[in-house]
Amino acid sequence: MKSCHESRRPTPLRRLLIAAAALAGIAAAPAGAQTEGGELVLAQGANPPSLDAMTSSSESARNINMNIFESLVTIDENVNPIPMLAKSIEASDDLMTYVFPLREGVKFHNGDEMTAADVKASLERYREFGATRGMLDKVAEIEITGEYEITFRMSEATPTFIEGFASPRAPAVIIPEEEAAKGANEIEIIGTGPYRFVEFVPDSHVTLEKFADYTANEDFDGPTGFGGNKTAYLDKATYRIIPEAGARIAALEAGEVQWADQLPVPAAKRLMSDPEVTVFEARQWAFLTLIMNWKLPPTDDIDFRRAVLYAIEPEEVMAIATEGFYDLNHGWQYPDRTYNAGDIGKEIYQVADIDKAKEFLGQSSYDGEEFQILTDPNYGEHSRAAVVIAEQLKGIGINAVVKQLDWATVLKIRLTDEDWNGWTLMQGLEPFLGPYGIAAKMTGEQPHQRGTDPVLDDGYNRLITGATVEDRQQAFADIQTAVYDLVPQIKIGDVGRMQAGSARLKGFKPFRAPRLNDVWLE
Amino acid sequence: MHRFILSRLLSAIPVLFVVSLVTFLIMWLVPGDVASQIAGPDASAEELAAIRDRLRLDRPMYEQALVWYANLFQGDLGQSYLLNRSVVDAVLERLPVTLSLTAMSLLLAILFGVVLGVVSATNHNNWIDQATMTGALLGLSLPDFWFGLVLIFFFAVELGWFPTGGYVPFTEDPAGWLRSMALPACTLALTQMGVIARMVRSGMLEQLGQDYVRTAKAKGLPRRLVLFKHALRNALIPVITLIGVMTGILLGGAVVIEVVYSLPGVGRLIIGAIQNRDYPIVQGGLLLTAAVFVFVNIAVDILYTVIDPRVRNVR
Repeated sequence: MKSCHESRRPTPLRRLLIAAAALAGIAAAPAGAQTEGGELVLAQGANPPSLDAMTSSSESARNINMNIFESLVTIDENVNPIPMLAKSIEASDDLMTYVFPLREGVKFHNGDEMTAADVKASLERYREFGATRGMLDKVAEIEITGEYEITFRMSEATPTFIEGFASPRAPAVIIPEEEAAKGANEIEIIGTGPYRFVEFVPDSHVTLEKFADYTANEDFDGPTGFGGNKTAYLDKATYRIIPEAGARIAALEAGEVQWADQLPVPAAKRLMSDPEVTVFEARQWAFLTLIMNWKLPPTDDIDFRRAVLYAIEPEEVMAIATEGFYDLNHGWQYPDRTYNAGDIGKEIYQVADIDKAKEFLGQSSYDGEEFQILTDPNYGEHSRAAVVIAEQLKGIGINAVVKQLDWATVLKIRLTDEDWNGWTLMQGLEPFLGPYGIAAKMTGEQPHQRGTDPVLDDGYNRLITGATVEDRQQAFADIQTAVYDLVPQIKIGDVGRMQAGSARLKGFKPFRAPRLNDVWLE
Repeated sequence: MHRFILSRLLSAIPVLFVVSLVTFLIMWLVPGDVASQIAGPDASAEELAAIRDRLRLDRPMYEQALVWYANLFQGDLGQSYLLNRSVVDAVLERLPVTLSLTAMSLLLAILFGVVLGVVSATNHNNWIDQATMTGALLGLSLPDFWFGLVLIFFFAVELGWFPTGGYVPFTEDPAGWLRSMALPACTLALTQMGVIARMVRSGMLEQLGQDYVRTAKAKGLPRRLVLFKHALRNALIPVITLIGVMTGILLGGAVVIEVVYSLPGVGRLIIGAIQNRDYPIVQGGLLLTAAVFVFVNIAVDILYTVIDPRVRNVR
């Protein structure tokens, strides 16, 4: 088996991944003397719904799980896929086979060594319980082709497969074979990451401790993204669950915690003048969007949707919804990213065009029905945006009504065709990971907007099957054009996230989840 | 006396049955389920259906109700969907927090509430009375989450005397437990103290105008004896009822205080379960909370008969 794969010539994809990985590793390598030991206390607002990493796509779980578990491939600092537990990723020319030679000597937290049997069992479990198991839909077979080698046989060539597989949303983590035989949320929390699980007391804390036998990935010069050559300096990390933002700030100021998440913007600005605190601004945290329901009048009418699009003044919504920490961005990708589609839609987005909005409203069959904006109080940005949008729409004669319900109810209603026309939603990981997640939510069997359109479907298919980056960029540009024409969703702006840490906390860089590796306390 | 206690205990059974049934029906009627919470906002219909099937949420209501009651009669309140533990374990592990908070805040509230009420009544209509009752009214009116944050700011952040939040088990560190409970208990006690002080004051004023108090004074009994042995004892009867109700409510969890001080108490457990549609925790947790409430009230009734024999004689 081994000789077979050694004779395989590296594909352009493989070469690209290895080169990108090495570069990213160098870029993120830490410098300077680090202090070993100590306990880092982190404050986050919510319990992890589960520490069974495969089964939950929640942020509060990811914050913890990404330090306990590792997957075959992950993302680097620039959100490019890189091997992690895999030694490399070897794709056949026709993209129908992917071979993953595994890193040897990698230890689980129970002391056992990871082999291909663990990987296969974990991925088969992911097919059953993984929250985003669709990422493996095109994998026809997962085959053990060596003690330290696993091979995917694909049912269909998908050039973007590895990007999807590397997603940390609900990561396809590798766990011991015996744990993989267990049901969802029934496993012992055992991974291969630099920190191992100690205890979880719901509504109180989660404790991790340094995994002394952690096997660092020496193929990299330093840490990058969720992978690379990671080093654990801290002896222990405790995530305290502090739901009240004021209490998180108080705990930080009192020195009880050394890192706090989701700080209100005014409080974070006040902390900037405190020499004992470092404020971290994660500017590109989420897209604030208004999703349309194409199945229920009046939003089943394209002219009505266009009227809404033209009537919204994004700056006013963003300023109020985000308490002033935002960027105006018409694009459905962040400006500096590979798939940013340039100025498409910029003219429509920039300022409200009330005349045009009224013109579209006049052309539509709108007859004073309620425009129900579904929102929730769990995320202040959602509810504040809904209120401002409703007021703006009333200005052109739309009978906008804010329908604020609890989060679980909102999640239920948005999966139906009734009882909502617009839904305010922050989309965080999708734009962070690139164009695929964003586009996927506008196509397929369960699009956010409840209806489908061949232009969007075609764009998505070209996006995931395009052979070159240029092909895929063109596909995404076509999707962005269609979004400003068909209005499945309306982009309001980019929302930032404020985090803060003690001045003693060194090496920390904001990412999608706080990384315990390569940070230390002075 | 035994018959009285037995009849009160038996009367709790239909109450608890109705509570369990209403809880079950309400949770069934509320839209949304735990599947959406587990899978997140981007889950497909298939993913949600798979989770519902795994958790048996797709079974008819009567079937789920029958299974739940059948398990209940065997002492099994079910398994949490999200916490990976049984409902009983989930509640029991929160109970020390809630008991600590309840006991400490009630102790403070009763101690200061009774003293302030008596002081106020014995200084009726002078400045002491006015000042005490203004303080009591302030305690009643201040939002507890605001007062909690103010205490955190002064005593935890500025002075560093207490932690900003979190719970330290008594068994691990008794001094740490006391420090972790001090601010939450004071915050919670403030409201209760105001209520108790006002009630004690009005009860005392009523009793002090009674003939038996006048007689006692005429007999030349010492003022302290008249106040505390005769008037206060009778004035406390309605206060005991009030404390009983307060205890029941507090044992069900003081959610706001638990959130502000990040305490893992029963209130947060149940509220979190409602938000996440973790039905077994909601149903089991509310049933246990209702049971505590009912039994505390029964205890209060029994206490009544001890303090005031007329109650027992009437029955």
